[in-house]
Amino acid sequence: MTYQPQKDFGTPAASADEQVTLTIDGRAVTVPAGTSVMRAATEIETSIPKLCATDSLESFGSCRLCLVEIDGRRGTPASCTTPVEPGMVVHTQTPRLQKLRKGVMELYISDHPLDCLTCAANGDCELQDQAGAVGLRDVRYPVAATHLGQTKDHSNPYFDFDPSKCIVCSRCVRACDEVQGTLALTVEARGFDSKISAGLATDNFMGSECVSCGACVQACPTATLVEKKVVEIGTPDRAVITTCAYCGVGCAFRAEMRGEQLVRMVPWKDGKANHGHSCVKGRFAWGYAHHGERVTAPMIRESIDQPWREVSWDDALSFAADKLRAIRATHGPAALGGITSSRCTNEETFLVQKLVRAGFGSNNVDTCARVCHSPTGYGLKTTFGTSAGTQDFDSVDDSDVILVIGANPTDAHPVFASRMKRRLRGQDGRPPARLIVIDPRRIDLVRSPHVTADHHLALRPGTNVAVLTAMAHVIVTEGLADEAFIRERCDWDEYQHWADFVSTSANSPEALEPVTQVPADSIRAAARLYATGGNAAIYYGLGVTEHSQGSSTVMAIANLAMATGNIGRRGVGVNPLRGQNNVQGACDMGSFPHELSGYRHVSDEAARALFEAEWSVILDAEPGLRIPNMLDAAIDGTFKALYIQGEDILQSDPNTHHVAAGLAAMECVIVHDLFLNETANYAHVFLPGSTFLEKDGTFTNAERRIQLVRKVMTPLNGMEDWQVTQALANALDLGWNYTHPSEIMDEIARLTPTFAGVSFSRLDEEGSLQWPVNDAAPNGSPIMHIDGFVRGKGKFVVTDYVPTDEKTGPRFPLLLTTGRILSQYNVGAQTRRTENSRWHEGDVLEIHPADAEDRGIRNGDWIKLASRTGATSLQALVTDRVAPGVVYTTFHHPDTQANVVTTDYSDWATNCPEYKVTAVQVTASNGPTEWQRDYDAFSKKSRHIVPAEAAE
Amino acid sequence: MSTTDTLIRMANQIAANLGHEDDPASATAEHIRQFWDPRMKAAIRAHDGTGLSPVAARAVAHLAQA
Amino acid sequence: MSVVRISDDAVALALGADALATAFERQGATVERVSSWGMHWLEPLVDFGGVGYGNATPADVPAILAGTAASIGRIEEHPFIAPQQRLTFARAGRTRPLSLEDYAASGGWTGLMRARETGSAATLEEVMISGLRGRGGAGFPAGIKWKTVADTSAPQKYIVCNADEGDSGTFADRMVMEGDPYMLIEGMAIAGHAVGADKGYVYIRSEYPHAIAKMRAAIERCAHIIAPFTVEIRVGAGAYVCGEETSLLNSIEGRRGEVRAKPPLPAIKGLFGQPTVINNVLTLAAVPWILSQGGAAYAAYGMGRSRGTMPIQLAGNVRHGGLYETAFGITLEELVNGIGGGTASGRPVRAVQVGGPLGAYIPVSQFGLPFDYEAFAAADALIGHAGITVFDDSVDMARMARFALEFCAAESCGKCTPCRLGSVRGVEVMDQIIAGRDVDTNVALIEDLSETMKFGSLCALGGFTPYPVMSALTHFREDFMIQESAETIA
Repeated sequence: MTYQPQKDFGTPAASADEQVTLTIDGRAVTVPAGTSVMRAATEIETSIPKLCATDSLESFGSCRLCLVEIDGRRGTPASCTTPVEPGMVVHTQTPRLQKLRKGVMELYISDHPLDCLTCAANGDCELQDQAGAVGLRDVRYPVAATHLGQTKDHSNPYFDFDPSKCIVCSRCVRACDEVQGTLALTVEARGFDSKISAGLATDNFMGSECVSCGACVQACPTATLVEKKVVEIGTPDRAVITTCAYCGVGCAFRAEMRGEQLVRMVPWKDGKANHGHSCVKGRFAWGYAHHGERVTAPMIRESIDQPWREVSWDDALSFAADKLRAIRATHGPAALGGITSSRCTNEETFLVQKLVRAGFGSNNVDTCARVCHSPTGYGLKTTFGTSAGTQDFDSVDDSDVILVIGANPTDAHPVFASRMKRRLRGQDGRPPARLIVIDPRRIDLVRSPHVTADHHLALRPGTNVAVLTAMAHVIVTEGLADEAFIRERCDWDEYQHWADFVSTSANSPEALEPVTQVPADSIRAAARLYATGGNAAIYYGLGVTEHSQGSSTVMAIANLAMATGNIGRRGVGVNPLRGQNNVQGACDMGSFPHELSGYRHVSDEAARALFEAEWSVILDAEPGLRIPNMLDAAIDGTFKALYIQGEDILQSDPNTHHVAAGLAAMECVIVHDLFLNETANYAHVFLPGSTFLEKDGTFTNAERRIQLVRKVMTPLNGMEDWQVTQALANALDLGWNYTHPSEIMDEIARLTPTFAGVSFSRLDEEGSLQWPVNDAAPNGSPIMHIDGFVRGKGKFVVTDYVPTDEKTGPRFPLLLTTGRILSQYNVGAQTRRTENSRWHEGDVLEIHPADAEDRGIRNGDWIKLASRTGATSLQALVTDRVAPGVVYTTFHHPDTQANVVTTDYSDWATNCPEYKVTAVQVTASNGPTEWQRDYDAFSKKSRHIVPAEAAE
Repeated sequence: MSTTDTLIRMANQIAANLGHEDDPASATAEHIRQFWDPRMKAAIRAHDGTGLSPVAARAVAHLAQA
Repeated sequence: MSVVRISDDAVALALGADALATAFERQGATVERVSSWGMHWLEPLVDFGGVGYGNATPADVPAILAGTAASIGRIEEHPFIAPQQRLTFARAGRTRPLSLEDYAASGGWTGLMRARETGSAATLEEVMISGLRGRGGAGFPAGIKWKTVADTSAPQKYIVCNADEGDSGTFADRMVMEGDPYMLIEGMAIAGHAVGADKGYVYIRSEYPHAIAKMRAAIERCAHIIAPFTVEIRVGAGAYVCGEETSLLNSIEGRRGEVRAKPPLPAIKGLFGQPTVINNVLTLAAVPWILSQGGAAYAAYGMGRSRGTMPIQLAGNVRHGGLYETAFGITLEELVNGIGGGTASGRPVRAVQVGGPLGAYIPVSQFGLPFDYEAFAAADALIGHAGITVFDDSVDMARMARFALEFCAAESCGKCTPCRLGSVRGVEVMDQIIAGRDVDTNVALIEDLSETMKFGSLCALGGFTPYPVMSALTHFREDFMIQESAETIA
């Protein structure tokens, strides 16, 4: 298709059921009550001139171009702010209106540079279009004062701000307020002096509160706010709908292209996860795809102390296959394994686990969800019967109480956070939702513009279960439980067993206060609000799962939701905020060593039989090894070969020394990635990967929404990742012959009951589907457990608080907890290779002023962060966001290696690492630790590449 | 820390967290059955029991019977 | 002991009332500080035993006390006062502004008591019957506005009083707040009772420090009487456009003082998104009388659809400037040349501007116009807040047209394009006209611009700026037609 911007209806859709019929220019149109005259006109392809209106924003009525005449009404009302009424007769084009619009446009153009031909928005400018639409032919004013010639603000790395081209329509300001919720922009001064300003007049965009989400750029009707890429390249000539490859929100984007060159990523208004919004990562941070460090040629080496040799695909694959065959022959299938990636597509993930189970002959497959949401899988499967969140994102619009625990949505799930903040600001006249935040750190949501948490329970890291049990104590003992719901939906005996447990005085907020360090009355108030405040929804993240009691915390959350009847309808539920774009999908696809796709245990004869018939192999009925156990087994000598697709376990997994030792003990490590990541330092085969822009497939987001990823350019490395895995399989003589990922999805649908109704053609037609999609739910399942739980009766599980073995003491008196920041993504492999680093150049350690004072540490000082496991050094940020006794850092940068410090303690049920609690000491330092120096030297050596000799 | 030490810690942790089940030892054994790789199960069975909590020890005994 | 009464109104203070009061006290007199009668040219005015002594100075004190000073006679009988029909300003000059005792003794709180006795519906009905229209300028029927708020269900409703009195030549709101604050508060409490609002805000311009102080003190002293209704003062920050009701609501909310598009009407979605009665000071101040004396009694005054009385403010180049409350229907001729006594300069009157800086200029030939919303509208003029600014024959009406545009440019919130850009372009075009360049073309351009602004602007600021411009052009076209000097033309 040729390039067209997405259709703009001018004002948001109305949701009323009541329909209203009116006449516009002699044609009848029927729309929902509450629709604007402008939108009604657009529905019948009548485009009323407009500049300040756009359908992502509430109507504003400032440009005065959209004036219409309505029979029986005085004057010329603005069509954007006038709601339709039954029988209304509207005229959109009359001589009077024509003259008025021309008069207004003449004023606009009297203050606009006439450089259209060299303007970045030439051909994509609403002012240009509307000047044409109203027939302006002349500017008669003897102009003296203008806004021309002002200095441009180039400070943001992704877009420019040129105030000389601004028409002060306030769309950017409103987008920042209404869509993003940061309120970074304002109109400075008034009248003719009105000027869009990021922060104070002295700030530029970079120095302001702007989070670079791009909403303002998208909203701008002129070239005032424009992507630097458009300035550089020009306007796009086609657009392809695809899905973002960063976090689990799963934003749909239009990849706007010129040839094979990506011009810009524009959030797609019809994307059901993001509704046209984006964040700085998805919108702008895709430059890594063509970063100079991208490896596009396969490489091999006999041992990790040798330099890499670039070779052909055939050589690399046969080298790898030979090694794998030899190891299997000597040590048996159990010595081989693979790791699937939550960054890759469902189809690619499915193939990797298929390669391990059917090709290698073991169940030693695991995935990065091991280190993030594996407890969600265990906890929700145990209590509700399925390993997934219960709601779609839209559900939050119907919430009255929002409980956020162990999640930092504004940084880690920014697009959903904007949605949540919208509800918390109480737009549309409804009272705002109330907010409870349970987090050791004062995350932005606790207090940000127009959002204030009713309760912030700043608990001691590691005491989630105690806090939730104390809340349950209040709910049960104060008679706030929804017994009717429980009797109908849950196992009553299990409830009573649980209720007896939480009701004991030992589980009262008062008794647990010394453990949780949360004032008992705060817990009581929060519990009452959650139980009685209307529709209550729980959103949680890795602050719940990455603990020694991660699974218990997930179950404690499920218990609370069941006890208060907050499950099975809109506005409520239990919602894990997934870290990675396809962590839900990777889990769905059978990436865990104990289960096949669709969460069926490998010991399930019937399920196994299905796969065995499809694949013509015999599958092992015993679970395989999890990642940490693979590393243990490698050190023990029983695990020898590992195929890792798209994951950097050396940087992301805890206790780096242990990971390094495990990898070093293996005979064949195959890394399949975009870059020579840290893990590749220990690899023997490097298979170049492809980006999400270079492949077809699907991702499944945190709301179980399956969306298409569409190839917009040829893979730099020559193959999509599923093709690489297939080539490796075929080097092992498995004889695979998929020609397109849709065939892999067809196989998934055949083998997985919850995916039975999923196909590429349906996804293409319908945009997205939320599993389960099958005979019982032919159109998918936005909300789960509506009439009953998947497992039958909801199961209450007693979650006794078992403190972690990681304890503070005189040598390690502080508790370290870890998290993320908006601009960087996980280990930073992508975002560090973009301008996003301008916002976050290195990891810092947040430390409370009292703890800093005790240690003589000032803001910006280099400090040494040491635990029982290891030590690293980084700079200090003294802040009261963290409580005394708690320190916090991110893990985005390999030179910090925060995981040198974290321990190998893990969740009791799933071995999800306890990233969130490490006893540490912080001392003044003057440079890198010994490990950092050694590793740096090793890393340089290990990355050495000998290019392939040119064919003569 | 050796692999056996890790397995002992894992078993003890599972046992501690399943302490409120009707039969904590069989619940622990069932958990191990469902989630541990055969060589891990073999290793814990082969271990003499030192370091195992009473519930974990009984669970390992269950495993051996199965 | 001798008791003298001297106003503590800002005008009296500016003209030396405090020094005068001190002088009386030194002479052993008891001084009661009362509200102003509203005869500004006589301030400070001393009321001694009902007899008035105008423009008094400390030097006059002994003679006044001795009864030998020249007086204006009995104040009540003064020709400026006697013919007035003072309903809203019945207490003016007679009571101590913050005295609860004086207020109650002069009929205060009876309106509120009656409202409470008869209930919300009957209260609303009484206001409907009175025919009271918004005194801020638009003249929208208060009863209908109130009923809309009453009929809209919401967890919270508000009463907002617009006391951002920014029009040139107006001071009636200030005089109410400084002279009879309880009356305004009572009016708000009645409105709250009628529509189901328990919270009121008074938005007062920062240029009125005395009014702010009086209102704050009054709110504190009468809190127990108006409870559960409460009132809070919000002080403006110097923007004329915040007198526009939706900008005012934004300003109270702590937002940029920018006009909101309507619909939604403030009555349905107003302050903090809740149903809100927003009325001018004079509208709310008229309510206690209506409730105590009955809506029909109020409606007995006035003409046509303009019922009741209007506190008219005479200012500018006028001999007898001050506050003149009378029933609608009085003519401009009576007001300006009769009551006002012509210009202060003694030169002939050339024009008056009624309704503030955005009101039309009215030539003497139209002085037969009765003071009535509809009659004014028919003559392309507006009553606005009933301020009348008088000009003598030395005024250059082209410059006055330019001033209107300049005022609009200075005060525009900047939201809508016709006002934001049109006002500045208008000044530029007027500069060309005044300089005599391409006059015919530029006059045509000004006419086009006026149409764009009048019908295209979002609010009355941009929408009414064409009134002074076009009225000046229509009635005083000769002032615009001064051609460029001969040599430039050649």
